[in-house]
Amino acid sequence: MNMSLELLLATPFIGGLLTYIGGKVHRWVRNLIAVLFSLATVGEMAMYYNTTFKGVVWGSLFGSNLVLQTNPITWLFLFIVTAISLLVIVFSIDDMKKEEDEIVLDSYYMQLLFVEGAMVGIVLAGDLITFFMFWEIMSWTSYFLIVHGGKKSMAAGYKYIIMSVIGAYAMFIAIAMLYAKTHSLVYSDVALALSQASPSFIIWTVVLLSVGFFVKAAVMPLHTWLPDAHSEAPSPVSPLLSGVLIKMGAYGLFIVFYGLLSVNLAKNIMPSVFSTPILLYIIQWLAALSIVLATFLAIMQEDAKRLLAYSSVSQIGYVVLGLATGTSLGVAGGLFHALNHAIFKGLLFLAVGAVIYRTGTRNMSELGGLVKKMPFTFTALLLGIIALAGVPPLNGFVSKWMIYEALIQKKEVFLLIMAFVGSTGAFLYVYRLIHSLFLGQLPEKYENVKDVPILMQIPIWILALSTIVYGIFPGLAMDVIVKGMKLFGFTPIAYNLFGFPEGTAMGSLTVINIAAVLMTAFVAVFIIFILFPKTRQVSQYDNYASGQELTPDFKYNYSFGFYMSFGRVIKPILSMSIERVYNYWIDAFKIFGDYYMRRIYTGNLETYNSYIVIVVTIAAAAVLLGGKLW
Amino acid sequence: MVSTILIAICVPLLAFAIGLTFIMFKLKITARVQRRYGPPIIQPIYNLLKLLLKEDNISHGVIFSLGPIIALAGSILAVFFIPIPGLNLLTGSGDLIALLYIMAIGSLGMALGAGNTANPNASIGISRALTLMFGYDLPLVIIVISVILQYHTTNLADIVAAQANGHWTLWTLPLSAIVGFVVTYGALGEHPFDIITAPHEVATGPMVEYGGKHLGFLMINHMFHIYIEIALFVDLFLGGASNLFWFYIKMFGVFFIMMLCDEVFLRFKIDDAVRFFWKWPTVVALISLIIVLVK
Repeated sequence: MNMSLELLLATPFIGGLLTYIGGKVHRWVRNLIAVLFSLATVGEMAMYYNTTFKGVVWGSLFGSNLVLQTNPITWLFLFIVTAISLLVIVFSIDDMKKEEDEIVLDSYYMQLLFVEGAMVGIVLAGDLITFFMFWEIMSWTSYFLIVHGGKKSMAAGYKYIIMSVIGAYAMFIAIAMLYAKTHSLVYSDVALALSQASPSFIIWTVVLLSVGFFVKAAVMPLHTWLPDAHSEAPSPVSPLLSGVLIKMGAYGLFIVFYGLLSVNLAKNIMPSVFSTPILLYIIQWLAALSIVLATFLAIMQEDAKRLLAYSSVSQIGYVVLGLATGTSLGVAGGLFHALNHAIFKGLLFLAVGAVIYRTGTRNMSELGGLVKKMPFTFTALLLGIIALAGVPPLNGFVSKWMIYEALIQKKEVFLLIMAFVGSTGAFLYVYRLIHSLFLGQLPEKYENVKDVPILMQIPIWILALSTIVYGIFPGLAMDVIVKGMKLFGFTPIAYNLFGFPEGTAMGSLTVINIAAVLMTAFVAVFIIFILFPKTRQVSQYDNYASGQELTPDFKYNYSFGFYMSFGRVIKPILSMSIERVYNYWIDAFKIFGDYYMRRIYTGNLETYNSYIVIVVTIAAAAVLLGGKLW
Repeated sequence: MVSTILIAICVPLLAFAIGLTFIMFKLKITARVQRRYGPPIIQPIYNLLKLLLKEDNISHGVIFSLGPIIALAGSILAVFFIPIPGLNLLTGSGDLIALLYIMAIGSLGMALGAGNTANPNASIGISRALTLMFGYDLPLVIIVISVILQYHTTNLADIVAAQANGHWTLWTLPLSAIVGFVVTYGALGEHPFDIITAPHEVATGPMVEYGGKHLGFLMINHMFHIYIEIALFVDLFLGGASNLFWFYIKMFGVFFIMMLCDEVFLRFKIDDAVRFFWKWPTVVALISLIIVLVK
């Protein structure tokens, strides 16, 4: 059994290499290998359901053991990583066919599996060196995936990797500080060392580590890379980035605050606000600001994938907000929302990817009326937006509800208001998405559009059904989360398969009752509806238009600038931009570089030659005068 | 079992009946304020029957037809989560926070149906409806939070029980109650918040393409909507009621004041409506929230 953790980690990497080699044989060999190896990873992951292994040493570096470990919390993230990766690879087979160059595709599949392997490594890591190693592999391989998306994606990927590197430097400094202190970076040793360290040391390391995680989790103000990277990446890569990759930041935060540092320790070394350590409290505020501001920005987008990307910034805010509450309910809600967000955001990106596959555009005002042509994708997307908006009985509701209840218990009312506002704002942008893509008038050029091929529909449908399953049976996920949180010293929360029973400190919720009543009401209303006289289908152009005759060459329904009047209300907020602050600094560095560095690095061969002559002369003079060079 | 089925059938019917009588009185109240005699009191029943029994119903697609059905199903679901005198219904299965989101199902259904037309008025209407919802939601959540903190529970039945013997939230948290009234009023979309339907601008907005039984179902949904919004206000701020009669009287009182307001206002511009909600009601609600926190 000990070998198999290493096997689980190695499977995607081996698969990646074999995929590349297989691609040289035939593209179907390559596709088959990619699917089989990601399927094997899912299978191996499933064996670790609800099991805990503390430490399999797989090597050592700088005198510190490299450890792999697993527990129910890591299993939850493993589940997200491996399952979404498998679906993404299946979806890619048809979606990436448009790519002419087979060599590019070979490396694409290899990188997909490498990203999966790197994320498995991050989650399984039992020490900070392993964690950091795979963290960097993840950053680089995902950079290569992003730049597959065409010309614009180059700039987006560049921004992504620069910000990732800045985050990684911050993490690296923190890890080096810890190494200097303990000489062992296994989590338990680090936790022990931190419990005896001085408060300022703890705060510095935690802040530096958090910066690295915040860049990856795209918490404002470090989110600027995400909207570009997630919208420019190829359609199948976006769900992997948005659904899974940013969750690694959330996982990192969980490990730092509840694995390395415990809440009690944090409370002892820093002042508390609302019985939350001040550092966590600041993180809560950053998360809440992410929720609200990203929601406003998502409402104003015209590009379907960019809308979803901003929505990811907002939803990851809920995850981080939940994790930063420090109470059992809040942390459980945050972890559950990480799973739920992976499901519904994966679903939405794949469904939008399906529309892009058929129509070739992601500009929302050019689309419309596709419900008649792509009914399956429409239904799946509808489930996705209901889940995202947090409407019962689908999964996004349950985890958001837990986070609200946790904030109510802590009386953190302002954060609660912001969380609510973000959720209502989500109605606006998700409706915009479904309306502009699927409802309204069908443009003439999409008259012959069909639903996507079966291999693209299967992943979409698996995710769509998951939104229902985890919505009605939240206990399935809570089993894992509560068991795992016990290991980190949290008191277990009361739950059952269908929700949260009455009689505990929090409110009660039984989602299956909501779902059952809704279904019954729907069926009853439907039967009454068809009892009345029959309906007759008419053309969309048979309209109330004050007697004017409608023609298909003109777009009648309103889809560009859908919330223009709302935009006027939030204009002062929209005009703010953290990116401008960053660009100011970039420009400042450029001026500095141009002005001073150009004096030395002139780009002129003669200058460089003269430098060589000067250095050689000085060295020769030093030797001649009896000095030693080394 | 039999009683459960009976309740399951009777409660939506009750909500429908209450909503229907309110619509009946509305026409009369409007007429009397304008010094007219007004139509016969059962005119809304004629209107409804006329729509439902029309022989020619046109549809612009499956989603267009499903829209009113989803809307009505969502409204019926919400009815079961609002306690009425003597019955707590499903309040144990979902608390006040869940109810806020359950109430959105109806709007979502209507938006989906109305969106599936090639009519600019419908899409502008929905855009306005969602924007207005975002507007009044901010003060709404603030007062909901202050009520929850006041009674230390999110269970609506417990909130009603805690207001027994005249300890209404209206007396203990008057500022929240005032904001609650404004928000409920905004949610009903009467003047000056009738931006969504605005007949002179967007020709009844989302409803523009609906006719026949579809429109009839949307009218029924509107009656449920009136019931839900006002019953929730009565449960939160006027202490529910000990029997159905008083429940009805309290609801009617609230509705009556609202109808009087309806007659004296003009219409807001959509962005002004949002600005209004985010200014005074929000400030007053925040003051009330801080009072609860400090107390």
